[in-house]
Amino acid sequence: MIEEIRRHARLWARTASMSMQAQLTYRLGSAGFLIGKAVRMVFFFAFVAAVFDHVKTVAGYTLLETALFFLTFNIVDMIAQIFFRGVYNARRTVNEGDFDFYLIQPCSPLLRMVCSSVDALDALTLIPVLVMTGVVLHRLPPLGWTRGLLYATLTLNAVGLVFAIHVAVAALTVRTQELENAIWIYRDVMFMGRFPVDVYAAPVRWALTFGVPIAVMTSFPAKAFLGLLSPAWTAYAFALTVVALAASLAFWRASVARYTSSSS
Amino acid sequence: MKKYLTAYSIALQETLQRRWTLLMDRVGGFAVVLSLYSFWNVLLGDKASFLGYTRPEMLTYVLIINVLRSFVFTGRGWQLVGEISSGRVSSYLVRPLRYQGYALALDLAQKTIHVGSAFLEIGLLVLVARGVFIPRDPVAWALFTLAAVMASLIFFFLEFAVSTLAFWTSESGGPLFCFELFLQFAAGAFFPLDVLPEGLRRLLSATPFPYMVYFPARVLLQKIAPSEAVRLLGVEAAWLAVAAAVAAAAWNRGLLSYAAEGG
Repeated sequence: MIEEIRRHARLWARTASMSMQAQLTYRLGSAGFLIGKAVRMVFFFAFVAAVFDHVKTVAGYTLLETALFFLTFNIVDMIAQIFFRGVYNARRTVNEGDFDFYLIQPCSPLLRMVCSSVDALDALTLIPVLVMTGVVLHRLPPLGWTRGLLYATLTLNAVGLVFAIHVAVAALTVRTQELENAIWIYRDVMFMGRFPVDVYAAPVRWALTFGVPIAVMTSFPAKAFLGLLSPAWTAYAFALTVVALAASLAFWRASVARYTSSSS
Repeated sequence: MKKYLTAYSIALQETLQRRWTLLMDRVGGFAVVLSLYSFWNVLLGDKASFLGYTRPEMLTYVLIINVLRSFVFTGRGWQLVGEISSGRVSSYLVRPLRYQGYALALDLAQKTIHVGSAFLEIGLLVLVARGVFIPRDPVAWALFTLAAVMASLIFFFLEFAVSTLAFWTSESGGPLFCFELFLQFAAGAFFPLDVLPEGLRRLLSATPFPYMVYFPARVLLQKIAPSEAVRLLGVEAAWLAVAAAVAAAAWNRGLLSYAAEGG
Protein backbone atom coordinates (compact mmCIF):
# COMPACT_ATOMS: atom_id res chain seq x y z
CA MET A 1 0.00 0.00 0.00
CA ILE A 2 2.73 2.45 1.03
CA GLU A 3 4.78 1.48 -1.99
CA GLU A 4 1.71 2.10 -4.16
CA ILE A 5 1.23 5.59 -2.70
CA ARG A 6 4.93 6.33 -3.12
CA ARG A 7 4.81 5.25 -6.76
CA HIS A 8 1.79 7.43 -7.46
CA ALA A 9 3.39 10.37 -5.66
CA ARG A 10 6.47 9.97 -7.88
CA LEU A 11 4.28 9.79 -10.95
CA TRP A 12 2.32 12.86 -9.89
CA ALA A 13 5.53 14.81 -9.24
CA ARG A 14 6.79 13.84 -12.67
CA THR A 15 3.63 14.84 -14.58
CA ALA A 16 3.28 18.01 -12.48
CA SER A 17 6.84 18.98 -13.30
CA MET A 18 6.21 18.36 -17.00
CA SER A 19 3.06 20.50 -17.08
CA MET A 20 4.85 23.30 -15.20
CA GLN A 21 7.70 23.19 -17.69
CA ALA A 22 5.20 23.37 -20.54
CA GLN A 23 3.61 26.46 -18.97
CA LEU A 24 6.98 28.11 -18.48
CA THR A 25 7.80 27.52 -22.14
CA TYR A 26 4.84 29.71 -23.11
CA ARG A 27 6.00 32.88 -21.40
CA LEU A 28 3.73 35.45 -23.04
CA GLY A 29 0.68 33.20 -22.72
CA SER A 30 1.46 32.35 -19.11
CA ALA A 31 2.11 36.02 -18.27
CA GLY A 32 -1.29 36.90 -19.74
CA PHE A 33 -3.07 34.24 -17.70
CA LEU A 34 -1.15 35.21 -14.56
CA ILE A 35 -1.92 38.93 -14.95
CA GLY A 36 -5.57 38.10 -15.73
CA LYS A 37 -5.92 36.08 -12.52
CA ALA A 38 -4.23 38.87 -10.55
CA VAL A 39 -6.53 41.48 -12.14
CA ARG A 40 -9.60 39.47 -11.15
CA MET A 41 -8.47 39.22 -7.56
CA VAL A 42 -7.35 42.85 -7.26
CA PHE A 43 -10.61 44.14 -8.74
CA PHE A 44 -12.70 42.05 -6.35
CA PHE A 45 -10.62 43.23 -3.42
CA ALA A 46 -10.93 46.83 -4.59
CA PHE A 47 -14.68 46.32 -4.90
CA VAL A 48 -15.06 44.86 -1.40
CA ALA A 49 -12.79 47.54 0.09
CA ALA A 50 -14.68 50.29 -1.77
CA VAL A 51 -18.01 48.94 -0.51
CA PHE A 52 -16.73 49.26 3.05
CA ASP A 53 -16.06 52.96 2.44
CA HIS A 54 -19.83 53.30 2.46
CA VAL A 55 -20.98 50.70 5.00
CA LYS A 56 -19.63 49.38 8.29
CA THR A 57 -20.76 45.78 7.90
CA VAL A 58 -22.08 43.44 5.22
CA ALA A 59 -24.55 40.84 6.52
CA GLY A 60 -23.14 41.59 9.95
CA TYR A 61 -19.49 41.06 8.97
CA THR A 62 -16.76 43.68 9.16
CA LEU A 63 -14.28 44.34 6.36
CA LEU A 64 -11.70 41.97 7.86
CA GLU A 65 -14.25 39.23 8.35
CA THR A 66 -15.61 39.65 4.82
CA ALA A 67 -12.04 39.56 3.53
CA LEU A 68 -11.55 36.26 5.38
CA PHE A 69 -14.55 34.75 3.57
CA PHE A 70 -13.26 36.01 0.24
CA LEU A 71 -9.72 34.76 0.88
CA THR A 72 -10.98 31.36 2.02
CA PHE A 73 -12.95 31.07 -1.20
CA ASN A 74 -9.77 31.88 -3.13
CA ILE A 75 -7.66 29.35 -1.21
CA VAL A 76 -10.11 26.50 -1.84
CA ASP A 77 -10.69 27.51 -5.45
CA MET A 78 -7.00 27.92 -6.25
CA ILE A 79 -5.99 24.62 -4.64
CA ALA A 80 -8.62 22.93 -6.81
CA GLN A 81 -7.25 24.74 -9.86
CA ILE A 82 -3.70 23.72 -9.01
CA PHE A 83 -4.28 20.05 -8.29
CA PHE A 84 -7.43 19.02 -10.15
CA ARG A 85 -6.85 20.87 -13.40
CA GLY A 86 -6.93 17.65 -15.45
CA VAL A 87 -10.73 17.53 -15.33
CA TYR A 88 -10.89 20.52 -17.66
CA ASN A 89 -9.42 18.28 -20.39
CA ALA A 90 -11.48 15.21 -19.47
CA ARG A 91 -13.79 15.35 -22.46
CA ARG A 92 -10.90 15.70 -24.89
CA THR A 93 -9.02 12.90 -23.12
CA VAL A 94 -12.00 10.59 -23.55
CA ASN A 95 -13.01 11.65 -27.06
CA GLU A 96 -9.52 11.46 -28.52
CA GLY A 97 -8.96 8.02 -27.05
CA ASP A 98 -6.22 9.01 -24.61
CA PHE A 99 -8.28 7.55 -21.78
CA ASP A 100 -7.71 4.10 -23.29
CA PHE A 101 -4.00 4.59 -22.69
CA TYR A 102 -4.63 5.69 -19.12
CA LEU A 103 -6.44 2.40 -18.51
CA ILE A 104 -3.53 0.24 -19.61
CA GLN A 105 -0.90 2.20 -17.70
CA PRO A 106 0.27 0.77 -14.35
CA CYS A 107 -1.28 3.60 -12.33
CA SER A 108 -4.66 4.88 -11.28
CA PRO A 109 -6.61 6.27 -14.28
CA LEU A 110 -8.32 8.63 -11.84
CA LEU A 111 -5.01 10.17 -10.86
CA ARG A 112 -4.06 10.56 -14.52
CA MET A 113 -7.43 12.06 -15.40
CA VAL A 114 -7.90 14.48 -12.50
CA CYS A 115 -4.52 15.27 -10.97
CA SER A 116 -1.83 14.86 -13.61
CA SER A 117 -2.05 18.43 -14.88
CA VAL A 118 -0.84 21.05 -12.42
CA ASP A 119 -1.47 24.75 -12.91
CA ALA A 120 1.73 26.47 -11.83
CA LEU A 121 0.20 29.91 -12.41
CA ASP A 122 -2.40 29.33 -9.71
CA ALA A 123 0.37 28.10 -7.43
CA LEU A 124 2.04 31.50 -7.93
CA THR A 125 -1.15 33.44 -7.23
CA LEU A 126 -1.87 31.31 -4.17
CA ILE A 127 1.22 32.67 -2.39
CA PRO A 128 -0.05 36.26 -1.99
CA VAL A 129 -3.49 34.91 -1.03
CA LEU A 130 -1.96 32.84 1.77
CA VAL A 131 0.08 35.84 2.92
CA MET A 132 -3.02 38.05 2.95
CA THR A 133 -4.98 35.38 4.84
CA GLY A 134 -2.20 35.29 7.42
CA VAL A 135 -2.37 39.08 7.77
CA VAL A 136 -6.17 39.03 8.12
CA LEU A 137 -6.11 36.22 10.70
CA HIS A 138 -3.43 38.12 12.61
CA ARG A 139 -5.41 41.37 12.58
CA LEU A 140 -8.62 39.77 13.80
CA PRO A 141 -8.99 39.71 17.58
CA PRO A 142 -7.02 36.78 19.11
CA LEU A 143 -9.36 33.80 18.98
CA GLY A 144 -7.14 30.94 20.12
CA TRP A 145 -5.22 28.24 18.30
CA THR A 146 -8.15 25.79 18.35
CA ARG A 147 -10.09 28.12 16.05
CA GLY A 148 -7.08 28.33 13.75
CA LEU A 149 -6.78 24.56 13.72
CA LEU A 150 -10.49 24.18 12.98
CA TYR A 151 -10.18 26.73 10.17
CA ALA A 152 -7.29 24.81 8.61
CA THR A 153 -9.07 21.46 9.02
CA LEU A 154 -12.32 22.72 7.49
CA THR A 155 -10.39 24.28 4.61
CA LEU A 156 -8.75 20.91 3.96
CA ASN A 157 -12.18 19.31 4.26
CA ALA A 158 -13.43 21.78 1.63
CA VAL A 159 -10.62 20.71 -0.70
CA GLY A 160 -11.78 17.10 -0.20
CA LEU A 161 -15.31 18.13 -1.15
CA VAL A 162 -14.05 19.96 -4.25
CA PHE A 163 -12.08 16.84 -5.16
CA ALA A 164 -15.27 14.76 -4.88
CA ILE A 165 -17.04 17.15 -7.27
CA HIS A 166 -14.16 16.95 -9.76
CA VAL A 167 -14.18 13.14 -9.59
CA ALA A 168 -17.93 13.14 -10.22
CA VAL A 169 -17.48 15.41 -13.25
CA ALA A 170 -14.70 13.16 -14.59
CA ALA A 171 -16.93 10.11 -14.08
CA LEU A 172 -19.80 11.86 -15.85
CA THR A 173 -17.52 12.59 -18.80
CA VAL A 174 -16.37 8.96 -19.01
CA ARG A 175 -19.98 7.80 -18.77
CA THR A 176 -21.51 10.20 -21.31
CA GLN A 177 -18.58 11.52 -23.40
CA GLU A 178 -20.44 14.81 -23.27
CA LEU A 179 -21.18 17.54 -20.74
CA GLU A 180 -18.07 19.52 -21.59
CA ASN A 181 -19.55 22.36 -19.58
CA ALA A 182 -20.16 20.38 -16.39
CA ILE A 183 -17.01 21.71 -14.80
CA TRP A 184 -17.76 25.24 -15.98
CA ILE A 185 -21.17 25.23 -14.33
CA TYR A 186 -19.36 24.32 -11.12
CA ARG A 187 -17.01 27.28 -11.71
CA ASP A 188 -19.90 29.68 -12.22
CA VAL A 189 -21.87 28.42 -9.22
CA MET A 190 -18.68 28.60 -7.18
CA PHE A 191 -18.79 32.37 -7.86
CA MET A 192 -21.46 32.48 -5.16
CA GLY A 193 -18.84 31.42 -2.64
CA ARG A 194 -17.04 34.75 -2.94
CA PHE A 195 -19.49 36.27 -0.47
CA PRO A 196 -20.49 34.96 2.98
CA VAL A 197 -23.42 32.58 2.61
CA ASP A 198 -25.44 34.84 4.93
CA VAL A 199 -25.96 37.38 2.14
CA TYR A 200 -28.31 34.95 0.37
CA ALA A 201 -31.99 34.41 0.99
CA ALA A 202 -32.94 31.35 3.06
CA PRO A 203 -33.84 29.01 0.12
CA VAL A 204 -30.57 29.83 -1.66
CA ARG A 205 -28.64 29.34 1.60
CA TRP A 206 -30.30 25.98 1.99
CA ALA A 207 -29.40 25.00 -1.59
CA LEU A 208 -25.79 26.11 -1.03
CA THR A 209 -25.54 24.06 2.15
CA PHE A 210 -27.35 20.86 1.18
CA GLY A 211 -27.62 20.93 -2.63
CA VAL A 212 -24.43 22.26 -4.18
CA PRO A 213 -22.46 22.65 -0.95
CA ILE A 214 -20.57 25.83 -1.86
CA ALA A 215 -21.26 27.19 1.62
CA VAL A 216 -19.58 24.18 3.23
CA MET A 217 -16.54 24.75 1.04
CA THR A 218 -16.13 28.49 1.35
CA SER A 219 -18.13 29.88 4.27
CA PHE A 220 -17.84 27.14 6.89
CA PRO A 221 -14.06 27.45 7.50
CA ALA A 222 -14.28 31.24 7.99
CA LYS A 223 -17.37 30.89 10.18
CA ALA A 224 -15.60 28.29 12.31
CA PHE A 225 -12.67 30.66 12.80
CA LEU A 226 -15.03 33.44 13.86
CA GLY A 227 -16.76 31.07 16.30
CA LEU A 228 -20.03 31.11 14.39
CA LEU A 229 -20.18 27.44 13.42
CA SER A 230 -21.80 25.03 15.84
CA PRO A 231 -20.30 21.57 16.48
CA ALA A 232 -23.31 20.04 14.68
CA TRP A 233 -22.57 21.98 11.48
CA THR A 234 -18.88 21.14 11.81
CA ALA A 235 -19.76 17.45 12.03
CA TYR A 236 -22.09 17.86 9.05
CA ALA A 237 -19.24 19.34 6.98
CA PHE A 238 -16.93 16.40 7.66
CA ALA A 239 -19.68 13.81 7.19
CA LEU A 240 -20.73 15.40 3.91
CA THR A 241 -17.19 15.18 2.57
CA VAL A 242 -16.88 11.52 3.54
CA VAL A 243 -20.20 10.68 1.86
CA ALA A 244 -19.42 12.81 -1.22
CA LEU A 245 -16.00 11.21 -1.63
CA ALA A 246 -17.39 7.70 -1.26
CA ALA A 247 -20.25 8.40 -3.68
CA SER A 248 -18.07 10.08 -6.31
CA LEU A 249 -15.45 7.31 -6.19
CA ALA A 250 -18.17 4.67 -6.53
CA PHE A 251 -19.60 6.61 -9.48
CA TRP A 252 -16.13 6.80 -11.03
CA ARG A 253 -15.59 3.04 -10.68
CA ALA A 254 -19.03 2.32 -12.15
CA SER A 255 -18.38 4.69 -15.07
CA VAL A 256 -15.01 3.13 -15.84
CA ALA A 257 -16.53 -0.35 -15.64
CA ARG A 258 -19.13 0.66 -18.28
CA TYR A 259 -16.60 2.43 -20.49
CA THR A 260 -16.37 0.84 -23.93
CA SER A 261 -13.77 3.11 -25.56
CA SER A 262 -15.17 6.02 -27.51
CA SER A 263 -12.36 6.57 -29.96
CA SER A 264 -9.82 4.62 -31.96
CA MET B 1 -25.56 39.47 -47.57
CA LYS B 2 -27.42 36.21 -48.21
CA LYS B 3 -24.39 34.09 -47.38
CA TYR B 4 -24.02 35.82 -44.01
CA LEU B 5 -27.69 35.24 -43.28
CA THR B 6 -27.20 31.56 -44.13
CA ALA B 7 -24.19 31.41 -41.78
CA TYR B 8 -26.34 33.09 -39.10
CA SER B 9 -29.14 30.58 -39.60
CA ILE B 10 -26.82 27.55 -39.47
CA ALA B 11 -25.07 28.88 -36.35
CA LEU B 12 -28.46 29.46 -34.73
CA GLN B 13 -29.45 25.85 -35.35
CA GLU B 14 -26.10 24.59 -34.14
CA THR B 15 -26.36 26.52 -30.87
CA LEU B 16 -29.90 25.26 -30.30
CA GLN B 17 -28.83 21.70 -31.03
CA ARG B 18 -26.33 21.75 -28.14
CA ARG B 19 -29.06 22.22 -25.54
CA TRP B 20 -27.15 20.94 -22.54
CA THR B 21 -24.25 23.26 -23.20
CA LEU B 22 -26.64 26.17 -23.57
CA LEU B 23 -28.57 25.26 -20.43
CA MET B 24 -25.41 24.96 -18.39
CA ASP B 25 -24.10 28.27 -19.72
CA ARG B 26 -27.32 29.93 -18.64
CA VAL B 27 -27.46 28.27 -15.22
CA GLY B 28 -23.89 29.46 -14.61
CA GLY B 29 -24.75 33.01 -15.68
CA PHE B 30 -27.86 32.98 -13.51
CA ALA B 31 -25.78 31.97 -10.48
CA VAL B 32 -23.58 35.04 -10.99
CA VAL B 33 -26.61 37.33 -11.25
CA LEU B 34 -28.26 35.79 -8.20
CA SER B 35 -25.04 36.19 -6.29
CA LEU B 36 -24.64 39.87 -7.20
CA TYR B 37 -28.29 40.63 -6.51
CA SER B 38 -28.10 39.04 -3.06
CA PHE B 39 -24.97 40.99 -2.24
CA TRP B 40 -26.51 44.32 -3.23
CA ASN B 41 -29.73 43.44 -1.46
CA VAL B 42 -27.83 42.98 1.79
CA LEU B 43 -25.91 46.21 1.23
CA LEU B 44 -29.12 48.12 0.75
CA GLY B 45 -30.61 46.65 3.92
CA ASP B 46 -33.09 49.17 5.28
CA LYS B 47 -31.53 52.08 3.39
CA ALA B 48 -33.55 53.95 0.81
CA SER B 49 -30.58 53.98 -1.57
CA PHE B 50 -26.93 53.01 -1.83
CA LEU B 51 -24.44 54.92 -3.99
CA GLY B 52 -27.39 56.73 -5.53
CA TYR B 53 -29.23 53.52 -6.49
CA THR B 54 -32.57 52.65 -4.95
CA ARG B 55 -33.40 48.96 -4.45
CA PRO B 56 -35.45 48.69 -7.69
CA GLU B 57 -32.69 50.51 -9.59
CA MET B 58 -29.99 48.21 -8.21
CA LEU B 59 -32.07 45.12 -9.01
CA THR B 60 -32.57 46.46 -12.51
CA TYR B 61 -28.83 47.13 -12.85
CA VAL B 62 -28.08 43.50 -11.94
CA LEU B 63 -30.70 42.26 -14.41
CA ILE B 64 -29.32 44.49 -17.15
CA ILE B 65 -25.89 43.05 -16.39
CA ASN B 66 -27.34 39.63 -17.18
CA VAL B 67 -28.67 40.81 -20.54
CA LEU B 68 -25.60 42.81 -21.47
CA ARG B 69 -23.18 40.05 -20.47
CA SER B 70 -25.09 37.80 -22.88
CA PHE B 71 -25.32 40.43 -25.59
CA VAL B 72 -21.94 42.13 -25.34
CA PHE B 73 -19.43 39.58 -24.02
CA THR B 74 -19.94 36.76 -26.49
CA GLY B 75 -17.34 37.37 -29.16
CA ARG B 76 -15.48 34.99 -31.43
CA GLY B 77 -12.02 35.65 -30.00
CA TRP B 78 -11.15 32.17 -28.78
CA GLN B 79 -12.41 30.59 -32.00
CA LEU B 80 -10.30 33.02 -34.04
CA VAL B 81 -7.21 32.22 -31.97
CA GLY B 82 -7.82 28.50 -32.54
CA GLU B 83 -8.44 28.93 -36.25
CA ILE B 84 -5.31 31.00 -36.81
CA SER B 85 -3.11 28.75 -34.67
CA SER B 86 -4.33 25.57 -36.35
CA GLY B 87 -4.29 27.04 -39.86
CA ARG B 88 -8.02 26.46 -40.30
CA VAL B 89 -8.47 30.14 -41.08
CA SER B 90 -6.94 29.41 -44.52
CA SER B 91 -10.17 27.73 -45.55
CA TYR B 92 -12.05 31.01 -44.98
CA LEU B 93 -9.53 33.07 -46.89
CA VAL B 94 -10.20 31.17 -50.11
CA ARG B 95 -13.98 31.52 -49.78
CA PRO B 96 -15.89 34.43 -51.34
CA LEU B 97 -16.66 36.08 -48.00
CA ARG B 98 -15.15 38.51 -45.53
CA TYR B 99 -14.03 36.74 -42.38
CA GLN B 100 -15.17 39.60 -40.11
CA GLY B 101 -18.68 39.50 -41.60
CA TYR B 102 -18.81 35.73 -41.24
CA ALA B 103 -17.62 35.88 -37.62
CA LEU B 104 -20.13 38.64 -36.89
CA ALA B 105 -22.96 36.49 -38.29
CA LEU B 106 -21.95 33.57 -36.05
CA ASP B 107 -21.60 35.90 -33.09
CA LEU B 108 -25.03 37.37 -33.73
CA ALA B 109 -26.58 33.88 -33.72
CA GLN B 110 -25.03 33.15 -30.34
CA LYS B 111 -26.20 36.51 -29.00
CA THR B 112 -29.75 35.90 -30.23
CA ILE B 113 -30.06 32.69 -28.23
CA HIS B 114 -28.34 34.00 -25.13
CA VAL B 115 -30.27 37.27 -24.99
CA GLY B 116 -33.53 35.35 -25.41
CA SER B 117 -32.52 33.09 -22.52
CA ALA B 118 -31.42 36.08 -20.45
CA PHE B 119 -34.85 37.66 -20.82
CA LEU B 120 -36.48 34.40 -19.70
CA GLU B 121 -34.27 34.36 -16.60
CA ILE B 122 -35.06 37.99 -15.93
CA GLY B 123 -38.77 37.20 -16.09
CA LEU B 124 -38.19 34.50 -13.49
CA LEU B 125 -36.23 36.81 -11.20
CA VAL B 126 -38.75 39.62 -11.58
CA LEU B 127 -41.49 37.23 -10.48
CA VAL B 128 -39.50 36.21 -7.42
CA ALA B 129 -37.94 39.55 -6.47
CA ARG B 130 -40.47 42.12 -7.75
CA GLY B 131 -39.86 45.87 -7.53
CA VAL B 132 -37.95 46.25 -10.79
CA PHE B 133 -37.44 49.73 -12.23
CA ILE B 134 -39.02 49.72 -15.71
CA PRO B 135 -38.63 53.02 -17.57
CA ARG B 136 -41.81 54.29 -19.18
CA ASP B 137 -40.06 56.69 -21.54
CA PRO B 138 -39.58 55.08 -24.99
CA VAL B 139 -36.62 57.41 -25.56
CA ALA B 140 -34.74 55.67 -22.73
CA TRP B 141 -35.40 52.28 -24.38
CA ALA B 142 -34.29 53.57 -27.77
CA LEU B 143 -31.09 55.10 -26.39
CA PHE B 144 -30.39 51.94 -24.38
CA THR B 145 -30.84 49.71 -27.44
CA LEU B 146 -28.52 51.90 -29.49
CA ALA B 147 -25.92 51.98 -26.72
CA ALA B 148 -26.11 48.19 -26.25
CA VAL B 149 -25.75 47.46 -29.98
CA MET B 150 -22.71 49.71 -30.24
CA ALA B 151 -21.27 48.19 -27.04
CA SER B 152 -21.60 44.74 -28.54
CA LEU B 153 -19.83 45.82 -31.72
CA ILE B 154 -17.05 47.57 -29.78
CA PHE B 155 -16.42 44.37 -27.83
CA PHE B 156 -16.51 42.29 -31.00
CA PHE B 157 -13.90 44.44 -32.73
CA LEU B 158 -11.65 44.89 -29.70
CA GLU B 159 -11.65 41.16 -28.97
CA PHE B 160 -11.08 40.50 -32.64
CA ALA B 161 -8.07 42.83 -32.63
CA VAL B 162 -6.54 41.18 -29.55
CA SER B 163 -7.18 37.71 -31.01
CA THR B 164 -5.25 38.56 -34.17
CA LEU B 165 -2.13 38.42 -32.00
CA ALA B 166 -2.34 34.72 -32.93
CA PHE B 167 -0.92 35.69 -36.34
CA TRP B 168 2.36 36.57 -34.66
CA THR B 169 2.48 34.27 -31.65
CA SER B 170 1.00 30.94 -30.63
CA GLU B 171 0.62 32.32 -27.10
CA SER B 172 -2.15 34.82 -27.74
CA GLY B 173 -4.57 32.98 -25.42
CA GLY B 174 -2.95 34.54 -22.35
CA PRO B 175 -3.31 38.17 -23.45
CA LEU B 176 -6.87 37.47 -24.60
CA PHE B 177 -7.78 35.96 -21.23
CA CYS B 178 -6.27 38.94 -19.43
CA PHE B 179 -8.01 41.42 -21.74
CA GLU B 180 -11.43 39.82 -21.29
CA LEU B 181 -11.19 39.71 -17.51
CA PHE B 182 -9.98 43.28 -17.22
CA LEU B 183 -12.65 44.46 -19.62
CA GLN B 184 -15.50 42.86 -17.69
CA PHE B 185 -14.51 44.62 -14.49
CA ALA B 186 -13.72 47.92 -16.20
CA ALA B 187 -17.05 47.79 -18.05
CA GLY B 188 -19.05 47.50 -14.84
CA ALA B 189 -20.20 43.94 -15.58
CA PHE B 190 -19.84 42.90 -11.95
CA PHE B 191 -20.71 46.09 -10.11
CA PRO B 192 -21.62 49.69 -10.99
CA LEU B 193 -18.47 51.75 -11.44
CA ASP B 194 -19.88 54.29 -8.94
CA VAL B 195 -18.41 52.09 -6.22
CA LEU B 196 -14.85 52.83 -7.40
CA PRO B 197 -12.83 55.82 -6.20
CA GLU B 198 -13.36 59.02 -8.18
CA GLY B 199 -9.84 59.02 -9.70
CA LEU B 200 -10.12 55.47 -11.02
CA ARG B 201 -13.59 56.15 -12.37
CA ARG B 202 -12.37 59.21 -14.22
CA LEU B 203 -9.47 57.21 -15.65
CA LEU B 204 -11.84 54.49 -16.89
CA SER B 205 -14.19 57.04 -18.43
CA ALA B 206 -11.39 57.97 -20.85
CA THR B 207 -11.49 54.40 -22.24
CA PRO B 208 -14.19 52.60 -24.26
CA PHE B 209 -14.80 50.07 -21.45
CA PRO B 210 -17.54 51.82 -19.42
CA TYR B 211 -19.56 52.16 -22.62
CA MET B 212 -20.07 48.40 -22.71
CA VAL B 213 -22.21 47.88 -19.61
CA TYR B 214 -22.12 50.82 -17.21
CA PHE B 215 -23.25 53.44 -19.72
CA PRO B 216 -26.14 51.49 -21.33
CA ALA B 217 -27.34 50.45 -17.86
CA ARG B 218 -27.36 54.05 -16.62
CA VAL B 219 -29.18 55.14 -19.77
CA LEU B 220 -31.95 52.62 -19.13
CA LEU B 221 -32.12 53.62 -15.47
CA GLN B 222 -32.51 57.23 -16.67
CA LYS B 223 -29.53 58.30 -14.59
CA ILE B 224 -28.28 60.31 -17.54
CA ALA B 225 -30.25 63.15 -19.09
CA PRO B 226 -31.28 62.41 -22.72
CA SER B 227 -29.17 65.28 -24.13
CA GLU B 228 -26.09 64.05 -22.25
CA ALA B 229 -26.88 60.47 -23.31
CA VAL B 230 -26.93 61.53 -26.93
CA ARG B 231 -23.55 63.23 -26.51
CA LEU B 232 -22.12 60.09 -24.89
CA LEU B 233 -23.59 57.96 -27.68
CA GLY B 234 -21.54 60.11 -30.04
CA VAL B 235 -18.43 59.31 -27.99
CA GLU B 236 -19.37 55.61 -28.05
CA ALA B 237 -19.80 55.77 -31.83
CA ALA B 238 -16.32 57.29 -32.08
CA TRP B 239 -14.91 54.43 -29.97
CA LEU B 240 -16.72 51.97 -32.23
CA ALA B 241 -15.10 53.52 -35.29
CA VAL B 242 -11.68 53.33 -33.62
CA ALA B 243 -12.22 49.69 -32.56
CA ALA B 244 -13.37 48.70 -36.06
CA ALA B 245 -10.37 50.43 -37.64
CA VAL B 246 -7.94 48.79 -35.21
CA ALA B 247 -9.48 45.36 -35.84
CA ALA B 248 -9.31 45.81 -39.62
CA ALA B 249 -5.71 47.05 -39.47
CA ALA B 250 -4.66 44.20 -37.17
CA TRP B 251 -6.35 41.65 -39.44
CA ASN B 252 -4.72 43.04 -42.60
CA ARG B 253 -1.28 43.23 -40.98
CA GLY B 254 -1.74 39.77 -39.53
CA LEU B 255 -2.57 38.27 -42.90
CA LEU B 256 0.76 39.55 -44.20
CA SER B 257 2.51 37.58 -41.45
CA TYR B 258 0.29 34.51 -41.75
CA ALA B 259 2.17 31.36 -42.70
CA ALA B 260 -0.78 28.91 -42.60
CA GLU B 261 0.96 26.82 -39.96
CA GLY B 262 -0.73 23.50 -39.55
CA GLY B 263 -3.17 24.30 -42.33
